[in-house]
Amino acid sequence: MPELDVGGKTYELNEEGFMQKPDEWNEEVASALAKAEEGLDELTEDHWKVINYIRGYYLEKNLAPMVRKVCKNSGFSLKHIFELFPSGPAKGACKLAGLPKPDGCV
Amino acid sequence: MSKQSGRTKIDIADVLNLPLETKSQEEAKEKKLSSFTEGRLKVYDSNINNVDIFLKLLSERVNRQLASSMVGCVHCGMCAESCHYVLARPDDPTMTPAYKADKIRRIFKRHMDWTGRIFPWWVHADIPRDDEDLNRLKNIVFGTCSACRRCTMNCPMGVDTALLIRLARGILTELGIVPEGVFNVSRDTWETGNQMAVSEEDYLETLDWMKEELQEELEIPEIDIPVDKKYCDFMYTINPREIKFDPRSIADAAKIFHFAGERWTMPSWGWDQTNFGLFSGDDRLGGFVAKNLYEAAVNLRARRIVISECGHGYRSSRWEGYNWAEYDQNIPSESVVLTLMRYIQEGRIKVDPSKNQEPVTFHDSCNVARSGDLVDEPRWILERTCSDFREMSPNRKENFCCTGGSGLLSMAEYKPLRMEVAELKAEQLKATGAKLVCTICHNCVDGLTDVIKHYELDMKVVQIIELVANALVIDP
Repeated sequence: MPELDVGGKTYELNEEGFMQKPDEWNEEVASALAKAEEGLDELTEDHWKVINYIRGYYLEKNLAPMVRKVCKNSGFSLKHIFELFPSGPAKGACKLAGLPKPDGCV
Repeated sequence: MSKQSGRTKIDIADVLNLPLETKSQEEAKEKKLSSFTEGRLKVYDSNINNVDIFLKLLSERVNRQLASSMVGCVHCGMCAESCHYVLARPDDPTMTPAYKADKIRRIFKRHMDWTGRIFPWWVHADIPRDDEDLNRLKNIVFGTCSACRRCTMNCPMGVDTALLIRLARGILTELGIVPEGVFNVSRDTWETGNQMAVSEEDYLETLDWMKEELQEELEIPEIDIPVDKKYCDFMYTINPREIKFDPRSIADAAKIFHFAGERWTMPSWGWDQTNFGLFSGDDRLGGFVAKNLYEAAVNLRARRIVISECGHGYRSSRWEGYNWAEYDQNIPSESVVLTLMRYIQEGRIKVDPSKNQEPVTFHDSCNVARSGDLVDEPRWILERTCSDFREMSPNRKENFCCTGGSGLLSMAEYKPLRMEVAELKAEQLKATGAKLVCTICHNCVDGLTDVIKHYELDMKVVQIIELVANALVIDP
């Protein structure tokens, strides 16, 4: 099982790099995931806007939001979301927000 | 092409001993989901005799095609030469398609063939002893085969190993002995009618959004993404990932349909053309999804069903679904690739290949090419929409799987093995020197993207609708 070390603590990831225990997520983990999984050295304010929205939606509904909701809430275009997260909303943004891997053909 | 020595190989025992995950199954029981209480969604029960049920279902389900695949194998080894798992792990006999099929075949022999009943030791007949054996079988049939049917194509005896794999998967699904990813998708499909649990409200809102974006981008206020419009030339059906995570492909399609002057619609129900019944081997689930689609077309009086770019969705909706749903076909269905080809042939849209300059290669999806016979049409389009189209080798019906077929994308636990055997695919992609790899399957998009990322290739995956939309010549 792959792991992620952040500040002396070890977090379990699944084989696709998604968090095995989504409850353990915090901002440091998000930054470490960004570097390890998306090749992003730094998360900007725009990244956080998206990540925090997805995180909040997940905690409330136990589900990844539609990309429509992400765009509407952040005010970003779909193009900008793909610029921010090279692997896209599912494998990029949802992963950084500490969600488990979305189900289905993704 | 053979496996380079010196790389760490996965110990196959680690894959075969992966435990049965039942967290989602427990949740489904606790929540008393209607699909569970009404018996459509099966969960694992350790208190019943699962081996007996397995054997009973096996006897019920073996039909003529399956029986000939059970008895036809002469162990010649042709299948080994064609399987990407074997070619990438040549020293591991357990990767051989015949070996995997034998795990099912030996149960058939012991239970249904007279030789196996009388001389089981002689013909290697055996039955699973307990649930642990069944779980190991689950890991073989779900985790070590992408059901790509390349071995089937190359079998001189006509043995369809993927058909045997699907048979075993289907029986295990009935027992709830199934990877969690497959269980979750089956649950969502039964509960919501689509594999990603997208609500009707979210679906319609996203379509509206794409319509507005298009109107703004093209400055054409009358451009539309119609929903539930009757008497159209076709009903367009999609993969839920398009609506949930990346609706750019829907906008591209709507743009092309607009300029082709098409009368089309999307349905508000029955829009998911994907079908996990193909992967899980559950014909009832397959029939439920396919019937939703066929009935939507009938209700809307559509003249045709058009299926967006998706390999298993195309195979399921175009070919297999009619059997699962026991549905007489009276409305034809086709891949959007054929629709696009017709537009170009009839001059309904104009395309300019100089708009797609980067070298592009084409990856034939297993379900579209080997199992769907759609081989020349995508190439016909690529030659007219891209200035530098180059074949990969092997190609067409001999192409290698993206490695993520048969639902493997949704089963993260098998990803390490999948990535190891993807070395072959990575070499094949790299040898083309192309910057873009086009595929007409959403599953292959992610499968190939995983390979590209893992093997650090300088390539990007595209789909044909994006290339056509990009090459579109819009008269002022």
